[in-house]
Amino acid sequence: MRRLAARLLQSLIVVVIVTTISFFVIHAAPGDPFAYDSANITQAVREHWRHQFGYDRPLLEQYARYVVSVLHGQLGYSFQYGEPVTVAIRDAVPRTLLLAGLSLGLSFLIGITVGVLQAVHRDGWFDRASSAVLLVFYSLPDFWLALSALMLFAYVWRVLPPGHIVDPVMHDYMSGWAALADRLKHMILPVGSLTLLTTAGIARYQRAAMLDILPADYVRTARAKGLPERRVVWRHALRTALTPLVTMLGVLFPAILGGALFVERVFSWPGMGSLAANAIGARDYDLVTATVVVGSIMVVVGNFLADILQMLLDPRIRE
Amino acid sequence: MRNSPPSHHRGRSLLLAGALAALSACTSKETPVGGGATGGTVVIDAPSDPSTLFPPLISEEVGRWIQDLVFDRLAQIGPTMVTVGDKGFTPELAKAWTWAPDSLSIAFSIDPRARWHDGQPVTAKDVRYSFQLFTDPKVGSSSASTLTNVDSVSVRDSLTAVVWFKKRSPEQFYDAVYQIIVMPEHVYGKVPMDQLRTSPVTRTPIGSGRFRFSKWDVGQRIELLADTANYRGRAKLDRLLIVPADPQTQVARVLSGEADVMEAFPSDQTAKLDSSKVAAAVIWPTLGYAFIGMNLHAGATSAPHPIFGDARVRRALSMAVDRQAMLTNVFGKLGLLSHGPFAAGFGLADTTIQLPPFDTTAAKALLDSAGWKAATPGAIRTKNGKPLQFAVMAPSSSVPRRQYAVLIQAALRRVGAQVDIQIVDPRSVMYPKMNSGDFDAVINAFNPDPSITGTAQYWATGAAPPNGQNYLRYANRDVDALLDSAAKSFDPAKAKQYASRAYKDIAADAPAIWLYDYVLVNAVNRRIDTAPFRVDGWWVNLPDWSIPQDKRIERDRIGLAPAKP
Repeated sequence: MRRLAARLLQSLIVVVIVTTISFFVIHAAPGDPFAYDSANITQAVREHWRHQFGYDRPLLEQYARYVVSVLHGQLGYSFQYGEPVTVAIRDAVPRTLLLAGLSLGLSFLIGITVGVLQAVHRDGWFDRASSAVLLVFYSLPDFWLALSALMLFAYVWRVLPPGHIVDPVMHDYMSGWAALADRLKHMILPVGSLTLLTTAGIARYQRAAMLDILPADYVRTARAKGLPERRVVWRHALRTALTPLVTMLGVLFPAILGGALFVERVFSWPGMGSLAANAIGARDYDLVTATVVVGSIMVVVGNFLADILQMLLDPRIRE
Repeated sequence: MRNSPPSHHRGRSLLLAGALAALSACTSKETPVGGGATGGTVVIDAPSDPSTLFPPLISEEVGRWIQDLVFDRLAQIGPTMVTVGDKGFTPELAKAWTWAPDSLSIAFSIDPRARWHDGQPVTAKDVRYSFQLFTDPKVGSSSASTLTNVDSVSVRDSLTAVVWFKKRSPEQFYDAVYQIIVMPEHVYGKVPMDQLRTSPVTRTPIGSGRFRFSKWDVGQRIELLADTANYRGRAKLDRLLIVPADPQTQVARVLSGEADVMEAFPSDQTAKLDSSKVAAAVIWPTLGYAFIGMNLHAGATSAPHPIFGDARVRRALSMAVDRQAMLTNVFGKLGLLSHGPFAAGFGLADTTIQLPPFDTTAAKALLDSAGWKAATPGAIRTKNGKPLQFAVMAPSSSVPRRQYAVLIQAALRRVGAQVDIQIVDPRSVMYPKMNSGDFDAVINAFNPDPSITGTAQYWATGAAPPNGQNYLRYANRDVDALLDSAAKSFDPAKAKQYASRAYKDIAADAPAIWLYDYVLVNAVNRRIDTAPFRVDGWWVNLPDWSIPQDKRIERDRIGLAPAKP
């Protein structure tokens, strides 16, 4: 319990530090929300806008005001979307969590299965072939993979929709099942791209963990007792080999959020990644800071959950 | 990108006469709107959501699309695009107007059939309120500076608004009718002026245009529906959907038929449109033009630039560039060569201006005479021990300009100049550097208003930053006087003469190498019959686009029925 409390406090400090850094970094970047090139906007008008939103005040004062407003549950106003930041974030977070959560779940499912099979059939054809394929995906830049998938499946073969979470035109007019199918169809490319990118790492990690465990005494004992090989591998060996992978969950979650930034952009998935990319381009100060804060909270929570899971799986940590 | 429709002001001239006809000639898909049947859904991909749907604060293009479709003006620039006087204008909310004998006021009679989309009648009070909206500093509209010649708006009766001017000017009518978007007082007037920017009321615009706003799902779509009882006639399409998407996604969407329109199809991928059975290229010549501008001063100082301060060097560099070959290289058959500091579609354009010819021998000789000599043939030239070396910025967001940077580097290397290419983010690096004067040369594009003041915004001495966009800090008092005379001329022919002389002077000074006119390739689904694209906005005539019955697909048959709850 003390360990959990300490972890929680640590997480809170991390979020505060990240908030502060992101606030000052985005303000230090050249330009501001009103600095875009337009012949029609006079300097006086720009100054008026800056004054209206307090951007003409000293930076420390702006930070103090921001902190106070955050403490009151207000994350500011988004110029990019013309609405309160809380509204923009509220809509985007579930979409990103859906994308990242599904991808993470699928990556672990596929990665663990492949990793175990590779370890069991070490140096066999499956091990070699799957290692080669996974290495290819592991080496690919995320945006390249997403773009290639988009062009192949949406443009060349035209079997999947090129982006968005649903058909922007027809979805509202579809019946229940058709609407569900439409939603699922739109998830295949973004979720698939993210899954492919992370599966390779998990499989390689799982393979190594299984290879460490399989020669262990207790596994040999299980075999000697006459347990079926399938049970030995999937129940006895895998359970132990999963523990280090849980640690990886905490590391992978930030990575998958980072990957989501590109994947969301390519597939016009209106989640946190798209929000952050647009906000940075437009110097939408409050929205940039908020996306970083929310992103860091997601990471911290993800790590926190990984810690708990690890404690549940490994009695030595509990003690 | 461009800032259309025109939104500048005083003294601005003039005519874009003939521009529309030229446009029509250029479009590859200009089938006149046919049939009588209405219906159909057009999906337009956009680079992003608009930041606001509140006309006084709209500054980016997607917002203008919606503004121009949902709201009306008192009158619209007619097909001739004449902006001087009132002859070229066609009635919109004002069915007629009467000039005062001294020309210092115009009484506009509001069309009694005009209704806001919530059913309320449009009145003269709305016109007066709209003028207040656009000029009140608490709102902070960028258009306020374009309305400085309008003194006030008064209400004579419920359907007559009188616009009062401070002085006569060639474009006072244009100022009054084109700069003010008429908005409903009963909707927006409930919110204090200084709170309008962040008010939720601005996210659900109510106008009087031929399309009405339906809904905005941020990051997903904006839906506009035909206003079936509109006083100017129902839009031929049922609905427009504006869908934000990443540019590469847009390409896939428009080629697969998921989207119907993509503005600015990537110039390096237009071959895909040639072979596509789904989408076709429609050329949109704009008022923009691109050039490589040379900073005439050393950094932010008033001292002349060590290289570009000498007009002979600027001319020599201009002569070292084969503009036509570069144009073909970058744009293939779709490019338009620039003729100077204006686009060919501009009403005051003079395409006979003589620009420095491509002649590398003469360029080398000119550099020699300016003291920049090469120690050995092919070596980098030097003068007083300093090499003829400078940096050229190009925006990372523009593929053509990045390609031009490479071509220019190779071309200038042939005459002994070393160009260092800097591909930079426009917002965070390029514009701040241009504003501060901290650059050598830049491949830039201007998108002026359709008036001579648009030219002055970029080339008049007084338009150096922070007052304007004369980033090169070009200064020529003769040019200033000529541009001013053009802007104050009530006679379009004379204005054109003044403008032409100004262009000649600018061309002779060679502050830039004029590269190409800004021509955008829009991808449009082949089942759509488009109306002519206007230079000030391809979207302006969207209400007259149509889809023939036999080409309609599933989404065209939705009709105006509401979605499931």
